[in-house]
Amino acid sequence: MSAPAFRSCGTAGQWVLLAYRIPRQPSTLRITIWRKLDRLGVARLGDGLVALPADARTREQLEWIAEEIGEMGGSTTIWLADPGSAAQEQAIADGMRRARTAEYQAVIVQAQAAGRARPGERARTAKRLQAGLRRIGRRDFFPPAERDAAHLAVRELTRQDSGAATAETTAGRQQP
Amino acid sequence: MKWATRAGVHIDRAACAWLIRRHLDADAEFVFVDDPARVPPEATAFDMRGVELGHHGGDCSFETILRRHELTDPVLWKIAEIVHEADLDDERFDAPEAPGLDVILRGLSMTCADERVLELSGPLFEGMYEYYRRAFLLGRPPA
Repeated sequence: MSAPAFRSCGTAGQWVLLAYRIPRQPSTLRITIWRKLDRLGVARLGDGLVALPADARTREQLEWIAEEIGEMGGSTTIWLADPGSAAQEQAIADGMRRARTAEYQAVIVQAQAAGRARPGERARTAKRLQAGLRRIGRRDFFPPAERDAAHLAVRELTRQDSGAATAETTAGRQQP
Repeated sequence: MKWATRAGVHIDRAACAWLIRRHLDADAEFVFVDDPARVPPEATAFDMRGVELGHHGGDCSFETILRRHELTDPVLWKIAEIVHEADLDDERFDAPEAPGLDVILRGLSMTCADERVLELSGPLFEGMYEYYRRAFLLGRPPA
């Protein structure tokens, strides 16, 4: 369930846009939608306008959120769009990459801190960070260099915990 | 009866089709459309925007069908958790099977036509049903 690669060219080409209006009250509904959009790693293009690189999955994800907003009494439209210029697309992609970079850096910091913790604590943190990496990977459309560093840091933590035998089997593995 | 859903079948639609054939309509005939406006008038649409048998209140379409048709079999609800996580991935349930199932169905949809995806995934869900049925009877994972 990792995000599809728009990696080779660093840009997506086509984007899927969701324009939405949510009733002001109750605010819990607005927050629910915000969280869902954050989870998908959307680029916020403006008030009530978000974008993702277009593919079958991202389009479906935004369509179901649109449906949910409709059920809350809000209104939405979904668009497929080409960027007006490569530079502006690059700026959006850079923004998304920076957001993921911050998330990967947080993982690295936590993995390093856990390296100094007791073994049980270390194992628990390793599990949690692995799940975190999976979650970040799903919304990482333009992977930064920190991605590999974060995976390495968590692998290192797992290795410390399970001894040398595991280290041998994971040493040659590459992230997809 | 005729049933319609979106073309490019993935986990939720494949699971719904299996469920429909198994519990609602043994002779179900499925049509796949690109545009909701193309749903044949006599067909019941599922897993599409704006239809009754779609996503509602955070449920995926498989869960919606179980609710609407009052299917209370706990084995089906166990499968529903897996389908929910494979489809929505919102961590509402703990379903470690979900990422694997997501990969299998995505791969099938890359290499097979929609009709074929249903042919191949049907026995898969049937097998899952049997596995979790035994697990429920035993109270632990079956051998």
